[in-house]
Amino acid sequence: MKMMISILVFLLADTVVPAAEKGHDHWAFQPVKKPSLPLVKNQAWVKTPIDQFILARLEKAGLQPAPAAAPRDLQRRIHYALTGLPPAPNSKIVNRKSEIENLLATPQYGERWARHWLDVVRYADSNGLDENAAHANAWRYRDYVVTSFNADKPYDQFLIEQIAGDLLPAKDEARRREQRIATGFLSLGPKVLAEPDKVKMEMDIIDEQIDTLGKALLGLTLGCARCHDHKFDPIPTADYYALAGIFKSTKTMDSLKTIAKWHEHSFATPEEKKLKEKYDALIAAQKKVVAAFTAKANQQLLVELKLKKLPDAPEKKYSKANQTELVKLNATLKRLEADVFVLPGAMGVEDGNATNVPIFVRGDHERPGEIQPRHFPRALSDGKPIDGKVSGRLELAKWIANRNNPLTARVMVNRVWRWHFGRGLVATTDNFGKLGAKPSHPELLDWLAAWFMENGWSVKKLNELILNSATFQMSSTPNAAALKIDPTNLLHSRAPLRRMEAEPLRDSLLHISGQLDLKVGGTIWTFENFKLVFNHTSEDATTYGSNRRAIYLPVIRNHVYDLFELFDFPDPGTVNGNRADTTIAPQALFLMNSPLVLRTCATMAKQLLAEKKLTNAQRAEWLYTKVFNRKPTAKESENAVKFVNEFCQERQASWQALCQALVSSNEFLYLK
Amino acid sequence: MMTRRDMLQKTALGFGSVALTSMLHAENPLAARRPHLRPRAKRVIFLFMKGGPAHMDTFEYKPLLQRDHGKPLPFAKPKVTFAATGNLLASPWKFKKYGQCGHQVSELFPNVARHVDDICFLHGAHGTNPAHGGALLKLHTGADNFVRPSMGAWVSYGLGTENANLPAFVTICPTLAHGGVNNWGSAFLPAHYAGTPIGNASIKAKDAKVHHIKNPKWTPGQQRAQLDFLENLNRDQLGGVPNPVLESRINSFELAFRMQTAMPEIQDIRGETDATRKLYGLDNAVTEDFGRQCLMARRFAERGVRFIQVTHSDSKVQWDQHGNLRKGHTEKASEVDKPIAGLLHDLKARGLLDDTLVVWSGEFGRTPTVQGSGMDGRDHNPWGFTMWLAGAGVKGGYSHGATDDYGFYAEQNKMHIHDVHATLLHLLGIDHEKLTHRHAGRDFRLTDVSGNVAKEILA
Repeated sequence: MKMMISILVFLLADTVVPAAEKGHDHWAFQPVKKPSLPLVKNQAWVKTPIDQFILARLEKAGLQPAPAAAPRDLQRRIHYALTGLPPAPNSKIVNRKSEIENLLATPQYGERWARHWLDVVRYADSNGLDENAAHANAWRYRDYVVTSFNADKPYDQFLIEQIAGDLLPAKDEARRREQRIATGFLSLGPKVLAEPDKVKMEMDIIDEQIDTLGKALLGLTLGCARCHDHKFDPIPTADYYALAGIFKSTKTMDSLKTIAKWHEHSFATPEEKKLKEKYDALIAAQKKVVAAFTAKANQQLLVELKLKKLPDAPEKKYSKANQTELVKLNATLKRLEADVFVLPGAMGVEDGNATNVPIFVRGDHERPGEIQPRHFPRALSDGKPIDGKVSGRLELAKWIANRNNPLTARVMVNRVWRWHFGRGLVATTDNFGKLGAKPSHPELLDWLAAWFMENGWSVKKLNELILNSATFQMSSTPNAAALKIDPTNLLHSRAPLRRMEAEPLRDSLLHISGQLDLKVGGTIWTFENFKLVFNHTSEDATTYGSNRRAIYLPVIRNHVYDLFELFDFPDPGTVNGNRADTTIAPQALFLMNSPLVLRTCATMAKQLLAEKKLTNAQRAEWLYTKVFNRKPTAKESENAVKFVNEFCQERQASWQALCQALVSSNEFLYLK
Repeated sequence: MMTRRDMLQKTALGFGSVALTSMLHAENPLAARRPHLRPRAKRVIFLFMKGGPAHMDTFEYKPLLQRDHGKPLPFAKPKVTFAATGNLLASPWKFKKYGQCGHQVSELFPNVARHVDDICFLHGAHGTNPAHGGALLKLHTGADNFVRPSMGAWVSYGLGTENANLPAFVTICPTLAHGGVNNWGSAFLPAHYAGTPIGNASIKAKDAKVHHIKNPKWTPGQQRAQLDFLENLNRDQLGGVPNPVLESRINSFELAFRMQTAMPEIQDIRGETDATRKLYGLDNAVTEDFGRQCLMARRFAERGVRFIQVTHSDSKVQWDQHGNLRKGHTEKASEVDKPIAGLLHDLKARGLLDDTLVVWSGEFGRTPTVQGSGMDGRDHNPWGFTMWLAGAGVKGGYSHGATDDYGFYAEQNKMHIHDVHATLLHLLGIDHEKLTHRHAGRDFRLTDVSGNVAKEILA
């Protein structure tokens, strides 16, 4: 079978040109050139250069863009796009430009956009795969991402820090720390921690790093070249192992012994370390005291009761004095344990011994071939070997975060586009290779990439540009011609209709009921680092009841929070810049029956009835305004009051039921 | 006139999904699909024994192992093992011939043994990963170092469901360790194809439920009134303009409402006769839990669920006897032997065994060499072990393949996990090379680039 596939691939491939040379002419590997703006007829519609590209294509297809969105729809769209939260009830959009500017300056912007990035870098608070060990320090990387988006850190610098932050100079300790935390990017991947074959484990970890780096930053499936030359893109195994050498020269793991442990940067001061040692010693000593006392008391018990074997729970049969003493000793131990602190640390990498690795034939580490000097993929660089004394990670970072790299800026502007419109200009956000989709608007993609780099790789500026465009601000209602000529909206003849993602949905429920805690940063998950979040007992010790924003809820691989799982949160073990948007019955079950939705609506009903002087019609208005940010029509108000009067005897329950219907409705769930 | 609700009930819309195009031209991702080949089985019940039962102590008799107890293994052990093991350890259990075929089964499985003439043993099964997590993922998804769709998800993707009110793939009391959700997940396949878990291994079968299946606050009548109000709200907002996305959202609530009735009805076994309960061991505290799981599996099978996984796993160490082999395996076998035999008997009596394939397997077997000083333990063994199939499309009373003289390595008619997957799909009428899904620019399969169908075992 394998042979048949190889023959097939061989026949399909251009047999004259070797695989490595083939495909160099692929569009995505050509330098980014800023195209001139196309001519359009309806110049009045154009607000930004983006619109000119979009309109030119629409006009060519004989289409006109949809009219501008209703102000209330647009307001909701802008707020969710930038912060993931609804606008304040009863608020109106006065000046679009300044509203966008203001929202970009809120801390909630960084949280919203960090979550997008976390999809791409397969962020998780546990390892997943075979042994689900806790990443109890991963949150420092998450906070780093939030802070970076809020500070509008230039994207090129953001990437360099994540690949090689530990190797960068730093003006002070805080910067040094931040840059080392950034390297968590390379360490967050799922690892087979109980892999008995240690060489394989190491090569699998390196493979995960190369695969993630390729897809996340370059839109390249570099991982495909581990076992054979890439079948479609010009990436030979030689290039793969040249990159593997860079990661082999990098220290990701502290121990490969089952269960293996990843490396962490320690941020403890010498004083903290000393104090911690002292505490540890005190605890150990107290444990000994408890053990010695228990042994003594057990012995006494056997003598007293003339028993040969200890009964179950012997301490319950101790003498009063012994019981009191044991309680006292245990209390001391507990106090000590409660006082003890965890030394601050973060997942991340640092340089190891610089070394080259051989090509492993068919990916099999037991069949080493020719040694590969470390270098960057030849299709995209001169392929010159890097200085043998360093790992090459910093050089790699600078090669990626570079204006001359044809992929980096294109891939990122396409991601941002995808997060706003639900589909990238290149639909396969994580694959810009031969098998990826072709760009729907190649000139626009290049113009955006060039503009992005010219504007200091500023993601905030890019967001501002897109949100101020007429393209973004169109209505989502299609007209007949658009439905016929552009049924899938590939040409952007209208704005997309989109369901809220899992996190905005959950945050909105808490927000409209006044429960959302907007504190930024830090961790709410207290789990011992490296401890298994799931073992053979299948018992789940993680809860999701916090009122902090969803980005701070733990992301447990192999067992993602059910609300997330149901509403298309991506698998946190793999790069995913293109979340699904499904409609499945279990989502309805969640809205109908979950404690979160029931609790939220009960809270709102209670608040509503606390306003004693309101008439039922005013109550309906209160609810509509909170949930939809608009007043009900007379008919709607009448229907709502009728529903409440007929639902059941208990008033609060009836209002709760009404509220639940509103938050389950399409008007709440979808952004028009 | 037919109301919309009536129409919905009559349209074959799947549980998990709702049509994305308009109602009448519904393209339901879970609609039953025609297989590539003539299917021999319509559905699968996969009995998963977590922890790894020892094949040489259960279904593959090894006379030389009995003879050479205490001697060193006369050939090399694998270079990489999970733990160190010593010399050969004979099986502590006696074997006896059963049925027409005369297959030898140990005294651990006296009840299953009575069905050997319906069973096809795969003694040459082997995998690659000697750790639990890797082996579970390999068995369930075909990959141990990537996140890939599970076989149940592939089967629902390939064949859809035959019951509009139920998921195509359910997993009863699955373990959350060692791959957890990924073992029944859909990975990059659309979410409709993921398994629906009913409880988990830490929950007793009688308390296991689908998440959010029951409303703790409203009566069914109240919820009906609420959903009717919601539907009107949604209709008004549509304002008569057809919108397939919003329409399907409306429909999803109707399906959910129906599922609330359908699911508990299957789990409610009050209507089963005493004889049936006894058959599955529900009258005995030792067998009650797994018996109930098996009985539920039959009820799902009867109602057209495509892939039903039953996991024998609890809050203890399951079949993983690195030590305490005698006690542990005796205990574990006594929990499952009667229920499995009951299931086989019941399926056969109801004619369901003709189109249902029963699969029995651990994530690996165990070593013939001893682990630990107590002469009472065995290490993980993915290099050779036994799986068995029964029912639709396979030869009964048949043994395919064998491990070496002692049971360490698969030797004859070897079947790698990929081959097992290819064969399972074949039995369901699916060509494993044609069941592909394009993701991130590449076509993926359950069997990656491998997999051979074991034609010899086909009935």
